[in-house]
Amino acid sequence: MKVIQTLILLMTAYWATADDHWSWQPLKRPAVPDDSRYTNPIDALITAKLRPHNLSLAPEADRRTLIRRLTFNLTGLPPTPAAVMAFLEDTDPRAYEKLVDRLLASPAYGEHWAQHWLDLARFAETDGFEHDKIRPNAWRYRDWVINALNADLPYNAFVQQQIAGDLLHPKDPQAAIATGFLLAGQDMPDINLLAERRHMILNEMTSTVGSALLGVTVGCAQCHDHKFDPVSQREFYQMRAFFESDLQLKEIKSGPLTIRAMRTGKPTATHMMVRGDFRRTGDAVQAAFPKTLNTAQGQSTEGSRTELARWLTHPQNATAMRLTANRLWQQHFGRPLATPEDFGTQGQPPTHPALLDWLATELPRQKWSLKAMHKLIVSSATWKQSSLNAGNDPSWKQGLQTDPKNRLWSRQDRRRLTGEMLRDTLLFTGGNLNPERGGPGVRPPLPKEITSTLLRNQWPVSAKAEDHRRRSVYLFARRNLRFPFFDLFDRPAGAESCSRRMTSTTAPQSLALLNSDFVRQSARHFATRVAKETQEPDEQVRHCYQLLFNRHPAAEEFAAARALAGPKGEHLTDLALGLFNSNELLYVD
Amino acid sequence: MGAKQEIAPGAHFAPRAKRVLWLFMHGGPSHMDLWDPKPDLAKYAGQPLPGSFGEVMTRRKVAKNPLLGPVKPFRQHGQSGLPISEFLPHMARHADSLCVLRSCHGDSVNHPQSVYQMNTGSILMGKPSVGSWVAYGLGSENQNMPAFIVLPDPRGGLKGGPPAWGSGFLPATFQGTTFRPGNKPILNLNPPAERSPERQAALAKFIQQTNRGHAAQRDQDDTLEARIRAYELAFRMQTAAPEIVDLSRETDATRKLYALDQKDCAEFGTRCLLARRMLERDVRFVQLYSGDTLGWDAHKGVLQNHTTWCRRTDAPIAGLFDDLKARGLWDDTLIIWGGEFGRMPMSEQGTGRDHNPWGYSVVLAGGAVRGGLAYGATDPIGLRAEQNKIHVHDLHATLLHILGIDHERLTVKHHGKDERLTDVSGNVMKEILA
Repeated sequence: MKVIQTLILLMTAYWATADDHWSWQPLKRPAVPDDSRYTNPIDALITAKLRPHNLSLAPEADRRTLIRRLTFNLTGLPPTPAAVMAFLEDTDPRAYEKLVDRLLASPAYGEHWAQHWLDLARFAETDGFEHDKIRPNAWRYRDWVINALNADLPYNAFVQQQIAGDLLHPKDPQAAIATGFLLAGQDMPDINLLAERRHMILNEMTSTVGSALLGVTVGCAQCHDHKFDPVSQREFYQMRAFFESDLQLKEIKSGPLTIRAMRTGKPTATHMMVRGDFRRTGDAVQAAFPKTLNTAQGQSTEGSRTELARWLTHPQNATAMRLTANRLWQQHFGRPLATPEDFGTQGQPPTHPALLDWLATELPRQKWSLKAMHKLIVSSATWKQSSLNAGNDPSWKQGLQTDPKNRLWSRQDRRRLTGEMLRDTLLFTGGNLNPERGGPGVRPPLPKEITSTLLRNQWPVSAKAEDHRRRSVYLFARRNLRFPFFDLFDRPAGAESCSRRMTSTTAPQSLALLNSDFVRQSARHFATRVAKETQEPDEQVRHCYQLLFNRHPAAEEFAAARALAGPKGEHLTDLALGLFNSNELLYVD
Repeated sequence: MGAKQEIAPGAHFAPRAKRVLWLFMHGGPSHMDLWDPKPDLAKYAGQPLPGSFGEVMTRRKVAKNPLLGPVKPFRQHGQSGLPISEFLPHMARHADSLCVLRSCHGDSVNHPQSVYQMNTGSILMGKPSVGSWVAYGLGSENQNMPAFIVLPDPRGGLKGGPPAWGSGFLPATFQGTTFRPGNKPILNLNPPAERSPERQAALAKFIQQTNRGHAAQRDQDDTLEARIRAYELAFRMQTAAPEIVDLSRETDATRKLYALDQKDCAEFGTRCLLARRMLERDVRFVQLYSGDTLGWDAHKGVLQNHTTWCRRTDAPIAGLFDDLKARGLWDDTLIIWGGEFGRMPMSEQGTGRDHNPWGYSVVLAGGAVRGGLAYGATDPIGLRAEQNKIHVHDLHATLLHILGIDHERLTVKHHGKDERLTDVSGNVMKEILA
């Protein structure tokens, strides 16, 4: 008897913990503390947490730092010296706001921000596995994402179309392309049993929707229940049921195109699979939303993807909204407010729950405009803080002591460029970036040591040399071969949804930046440009600093740089290479 | 090779070996023609698989094909009398040092899935490979070299590709670094010919000076310091790596030992010799691939296929074993010989065999394991593992155990969960330990 009582107690305690978990509590608009100093609610919510520690926000970064940080953050590229000059000289009180608007309106914005989403979508243009076959129209999905972001497609529509675009807009072929999201994962079309292939695709798709759009790892539930997971095995297969009848194993015709996309199919009986084994059919299940996560109190009546799409973007879908707010924060600040990959009970709770909920409820109020959210965040005093102690400020030391890991956001963090941003920056500063937009993925030449690890003819180099200088987002994404330069800088493998990249620091990164064909060629182009635009060796050195760092070199730096460049500037390429290898280029203040 | 080791949990208990050498026979070598003698298979050759074996999942629908008898005779070798087929006369000299695991099994009849599983524990792409886990767990013994080095077959075409030695969700620091014979062992290692040593030195000095000046103005940023150290390591590697691949001081006797004087063996033998030079310099984990796109994948003509691949590899491997023993490296190196799966007892296209993940052999060697031992067993025709079954997870658990790592405690947080090489299973096979 006692044992049973203890068990009941334990179970109650467990369910209480699971039910009380922060991420699936209903979403309420939190009150913003009154703070006369700040008009932006983000700042009021951040300073409310700083005050008990006797901390305040760090001073605003200088304008040169701000425009550099902002341009990298919104477009993935550095500002030109002319843009910096114009901003420094702009006395309009709205100068910063105008700058934000201009950058958000630039096509480079979508090209840069698309990569975050493509990471989440585990996007690649090949199947993976043995043959790693090309998906000839996969780039259309990549372009769809870029265009949707540039057009500021409302975020709810952005997500809905990727789940059910074909149903929501049956006459729009672009909407069908958007469902490529569901089918962007690895696949083995030549597997022996079609049932096995179907099973694997459906489970992968369900897992991806779970991690990318709900922030919970549901993949493990395909085999059995896990004590701490919000989604049971039954619920996993109930979610999967939304996709079953519409999964097409062959590419489909959509207008003139042959694409991987979803299309309404015959109603299919849906079952659980015992221990995740495709040969062992379990209980029949109907499409339904996971109970714990159903703060929107949605009910599926027809089991259609449209219902799922609307549920995933319902303003009261607390987990989904918090997840989106958390990711936005992460992409602007480098770190999330809560562990991003997992909102289940295993994740870290947010440092600023009120701020997270405020942002989560703000998105629908901003008519789901991501650009409005970006503007709101980058206009905050919190975002504009300095990341270094420029003026011997005594409170800086206190900030470092009280908040060594900057959990409270008492200063800005330094951010490392991604491999894609670094490549684009080397091309751009050398005046060599081909701005052409969209179209099939391009393949710049790779060393044969790399291509020899692949099957024959898996990396035919793109015919037009100018294509080799296009932005990184347009490089062909082969699943079995991450582009080596990006691989070095922690681009994810395209094997599963990735919400936050790692930033490792390795010797092969340094070797690539010192010796690779691409970097050396970029240094030559850069030096050629500098020599064309300035003649006198002193001026050339200063120009290098302006192009790469948007500033003048200090006296000591100038002397060292001038010495490396040689008496007549004959070693300007070496100087370019030296500066390409600097931490100041890779890390943005 | 990271300048910054994120986490280095280290060994959990005293290791039985410090280093791993993995000889990966890509394509799937035939266990019943190499390591696992099956007299019954010879007896029933030509007949269909008896109904008592039930349904068999195969890659190429060979379940109803007639059985194919072993294509080479076996002989007993050494004091242990370990049976080894005549395909491998040279490795057979080391019979008393070999531990043949005859009851291995995995989960997929396909190459890439099985290559991934043997390397990462999962049939899906994108998980960290064993070498990455070991590098993550134990770090590097050689401060000038990566902890995990891969020597791919220069013919290329590994099924599944480079993710086989990828670091998955572990930092890129821990992924396998591919090495090649010749004067350019690592990609981007060498300064270009047009850059004189003086210019290289000036460039290196400028970079380090610039980055130190930059870091000095930015307090408490470990990542900036880490990157400065990464450059120091890169510059050290530029000296250390060419030295490793420089075979000019190896004696004629050594070259002969690795069969470099034989045309068929020279390529693989050179890589075996490179592997020894790496182990000698305490590189933690060396993986060496044999087999191009098809490799050991003998869908037709097992005899011809295995004659070719055994001739290329048998003598160099035996020479490598001799050399490791002579140089005192044998006892603390764990050696693994095996493919991604074995082959079917049924015939394919008359003289070939299809993939078999349900039962096959993997051979271990080195001081940590019992030599002259055949452990576990497949059924009488070699179709399925039957006694003392060893799943790939068990193999991995044992490998980590030998290195002093508890496979249940070598974990990393990913998507909020503690991930490990062996998922939720894995048993250490204590019976095979010396």
